[in-house]
Formats: sequence, structure tokens, C-alpha cells
Amino acid sequence: MSLAESEAAELHLERPSGLWRDALDRFRRNPGALVGVFLILVFIVAAVFAPAIAPYEPHKQVGPLATNPEGPTTGHLLGLDEQGRDLFSRILFGARLSLLVGFVSVLVGLALGLVLGALSGYLGGWIDFAIMRVVDLMLSIPALLLAIGLVTVLGRGLFQIMLAIGIVQVPIFARLLRGTILGQKEADYVLASRSVGVPKLRILLVHILPNSIAPVIVQATLAMATAIIEVAALSFVGLGPNDPGLPEWGRILAENANRLQQSAHLVIFPGIAIVLSALGINLIGDGLREAIDPKLRS
Amino acid sequence: MIGYVVRRLLLMVPILLGLSILVFLFVRALPGGPAIALLGERATEESVEQIEEQLGLDQPVHVQYGRYLGNLLSGDLGTSVSTRQPVTSELARRFPATFELTIAALIFAIGLGIPLGYIAAKRYQGVLDNVSLVMSLIGVSIPVFFLALLLKYIFGVQLGWLPTIGRLGITVSLEHPTNFYVLDSVLTANWEALTDSLKHLVLPAIALGTIPLAIVARITRAATLDVLSEDYVRTARAKGLDPLVVDRRHVLRNAMLPVVTVVGLQTGLLLTGAVLTETVFAWPGLGTLILNAIRFRDYAVLQGGVLVFAVIFVLVNLIVDISYAFLNPRIRYR
Repeated sequence: MSLAESEAAELHLERPSGLWRDALDRFRRNPGALVGVFLILVFIVAAVFAPAIAPYEPHKQVGPLATNPEGPTTGHLLGLDEQGRDLFSRILFGARLSLLVGFVSVLVGLALGLVLGALSGYLGGWIDFAIMRVVDLMLSIPALLLAIGLVTVLGRGLFQIMLAIGIVQVPIFARLLRGTILGQKEADYVLASRSVGVPKLRILLVHILPNSIAPVIVQATLAMATAIIEVAALSFVGLGPNDPGLPEWGRILAENANRLQQSAHLVIFPGIAIVLSALGINLIGDGLREAIDPKLRS
Repeated sequence: MIGYVVRRLLLMVPILLGLSILVFLFVRALPGGPAIALLGERATEESVEQIEEQLGLDQPVHVQYGRYLGNLLSGDLGTSVSTRQPVTSELARRFPATFELTIAALIFAIGLGIPLGYIAAKRYQGVLDNVSLVMSLIGVSIPVFFLALLLKYIFGVQLGWLPTIGRLGITVSLEHPTNFYVLDSVLTANWEALTDSLKHLVLPAIALGTIPLAIVARITRAATLDVLSEDYVRTARAKGLDPLVVDRRHVLRNAMLPVVTVVGLQTGLLLTGAVLTETVFAWPGLGTLILNAIRFRDYAVLQGGVLVFAVIFVLVNLIVDISYAFLNPRIRYR
């Protein structure tokens, strides 16, 4: 590294403050957010290294078939399921599914919602009107029912399910971004760019979007928790991914709901996995909200 | 105020029309087409032809929609494949069960959530504040069906305190003039049935109400904290007003505004949650009806059920908006 470069790096470090730097500082000082980061890191590690960590293959029968399988033993940390599969291994591999669903479906919802919200907020007029009426319509159907309807039509492949959960989130993102853009549109810096002749699309992409994105990031984080719970709920009502071997947490829980009395572990542990992952994401989301919210900046 | 109500009512018309189009398209988008969807996969060719003619599937789409809308407006939602009953009567029979459960859950959520959030704000960063914060975080992270199963297991199966299945014990008899069991028992002065139906309500209502409770408590806390730092509260205190009067007239009343909105938004969550809670407790409401419809591919019922849920949701939001305008004059004059 040359002298100039290292000086630049130092200068960069000492740069006094800015929205994101302040936000990061506040985030790091928030104990709840740190707990959330820790939880999610655990789940990410579990998901990425599942093949290495899991003591058994998730689909393999390693114990006896049983109507009411036994709970945790020394050989099987979280016990066995009715087909003699190791529950701990299944839950580890389930983390892959849940995180994937959370991530992809939010990406779908975010992408579609951002495009619709940006068009609606920035262009206004009849486009705004048309998009917002569709959004109103989608919001008038309770989320899970809309997802149920979409999955019935689209089919029960994993991708279709992620698509369905993503679509359900579109109106929330669209409305949120539209609102913040409307607020930014009249800001002085936008008027300034317009007056010097910067093209509309460039103003939208370079000036308005970066300034409107903070609440969207918070919402996207929280939506990931909703997505994880929603895919479990779809499994619970029998509309989960149609591959019966998939160790989806909601499905494990749903299939064993009537064994609660004899084999409580088959319900409790996947349930705890869902709660902890959703809790971790919610904690991060809340931490981000508090870190970014300009009202809390002093 | 009347102008505002009329405007909101008029805005409902396009939403309801849009909903009907959406549900109409839903049945046409189902795999195998509407005839198969409505009759089931093992339908004979004859019955498929018959239903296609009956539904007018050979007609242009706008004619089909017109006919569908006509049926809808006259209360005809088709016939259930599994029970051979008109969907409308099935929905009407089960609606009170869901409504009763939702109200009970709402009473639980509001009755506990508002005091909890209020006290947490008054003792800002105290033990209770922190406990309620943690509880509400867990509350928004727990799937309603998991919570329902846990409650059923602990209080129903292990401790045996409360019944876990249905709306009424099989040994208790009750006439059903309204199908709202609590109301029915009061109307017929059947006190045994009243206690029994209330007991049956407790666990499902707590399961369904806990997530809204967490949210209501958090919003009440945040709103109270906001109001507590307002100038008019300081002024009221400074002029020596009784602290209790300040709390009641200045703090609580203003803090309730955002709470009303949130309670309205919770209805969607409650209706969705009802679908899942009813399954766990075998509650014979709209939720179990919809889930059975999914299971048996009874699309006429599914279609009707989704429509009814959406209409309830829209209506509740309308009521919330109107009551909000009533509470907050600033909205009315916009």
C-alpha cells in the first residue's frame, strides 16, 4: 500500500459521520440487535455446513420405525422421528430450506414491489392510480389466504411457494417505497437536479432511490421472518413443498401435531427452530429500524 | 363526517368489484380448468359438459363474469362438492363460530395489551418494561399454530384444566337461535352451556390473541412514550393538575389513536390466524371449512371462503377508518 493510499484509508476511517456510519454505530451498541445477529449467524452456519455438522443424513433411516418415537438420547441429540430419522440432522438441513425461502421470497417481493412502488411514486398520474388500486386489492385479502390461493394455482413446487410468498409481500413494499418517494420528490436536491436538466430516470435511480431505501431495508428484514413463518404455515395447512422428504420445519411440526403427547420432541424442536430464526431476524430488523430512523438521530 | 363516511363507502365499490374479478380469475386459473376444479378429478365427461354449460364456459369471458357476478349478488356461491350443500348456507352456518372466536381473541389482546403497554411506558426501562418488550418480541416471532399446539398440550392435555376440542361439550345441550354459542346460552338462560362454551373459548382465544396482544402492547408503549414527552402534558402537569387526570385525559386519550389503527390492521392477522387456530382446536368455523376445502379440493367452498374473509377484512378496515376519523378530527377535515 502506498503512503497516499494508507493516508486515504486512515482519512476514510476518521470520516466524521454519515447516515450509514452513524447507523452502524448505533446498531453495534444495541444488545438486542447483537443477539439477533448471533442467532442468525448460528442458523447460517447450520445451513451452510449442514452436511459437515449433521451426524446423519437427513433422509436416512438410522433408528427403528415407531409410531411414537423416543425423544433425545445420547446418540440422537434431539431424538428420532417416526421413520427412524435423526431429528437434529433434519432440523439442520431444514435451516437451509427456511433461510432459502426467506431470502428468495423477500427478493421476489422486494424486486416487484420496488419497481411498482418507484413507478407509482415517481411517475404519478394514472399509472400511480392503477398500481395503487391493484395494491389495495391485494391488501384486502389476508396474507395467508392470498398465499394459499396462489399456491393452489401455481402448484406446490418449492420455487412456486417462494414465488407465492414473495408476491404476497409485493403490495407492502410497493406502498412503502411509494410513500417515501413522494416525500423525497419535492426535496430541494431533487428540484435542483431537475432544474439543471438531469433526466427523470437518472434522478430516480441516483438521487431519490438511495434516499428512500432505508425503511425498505428494515421492512425487507422483517419480511424475511414473516416468510419463514408463512412457509411453515403453508406446510401446516398441507400446502408446503410437495417433495415429501424435504425436512421443512413446518412440515415436521404439522406431521407430528397429533403425537404431541407421546413424542413432544417432534413438535417442540422444529417449533423452537422456527421461533428462534424468526426472533433473530426480527431483532435485527428492529435494531436496523432504530439505527436508521432519522427521528432517533440526535 | 358524513361526507367522509360516504366517500369511504364509495371507495369500497371498486375494491369489492376487484375482489370478485380476482376470485373469478382464481377459479379459471386452477389446474384442470374450472369444471374439473369444481367437480373433482373423478368427474364423468357428462357432468363436466353439464357444468360447463351451466357455468357458460362456452361463452365469452365478459359474459361469464357477468353471470358470475349476477349469481354472487343473489347470494349464490355454488355447491360444495363434498357436502352437496349450497356454499352460502355452509358459510353462514360457520361464520358465527369464527366471529365469536375472533371477538374473544380481540378482547384478550386489547384488554391485556393496552394496560401492559401503558404501564411499561410509565415505568420506562424498568423491569416490567423490559419483560414486556421481550415477551412482545417472542410474540411476533411465534407461529400461531405452534403456540396453539403448546397451549393445547400444556393446559388441555397435561393439566387438564380446559377443553381443547370444539365449541361445546357433547353432554351439554343448547338451542342455537343465532349460532353464537355464548349469546345463545344467555338468550335461552342456559347457564351450564354458558360456562361450558366460555371454557371452550379460553384456549383458542388466547392462542389467537397472543400475537395481536404483543403488537398492541408495543404500539401502546411507543404511543404513550411519544405523548408523555409532549408539551401539553408538561403544561398540564406544571399547572398542578391531578396526575391521574393528566394520565387519563391527556396521555391515554391521545395515545389511543395509533392503537386504533393497529387494532384494525390486526384483523387481517386475526382472520389468518383463525384459519390455523381453528384447525388445532377443531373449532367448526370458516377456517376449518377453508382448510377442509383445500384438502378435498372443494374449490367452490375455497372460493366462497376466501371471498367472505376478504369482504370481512375490507368491512373491518372501513369501520376502523371511520372510528379513527371520529376519534381524530384532523382526518375528517383533510
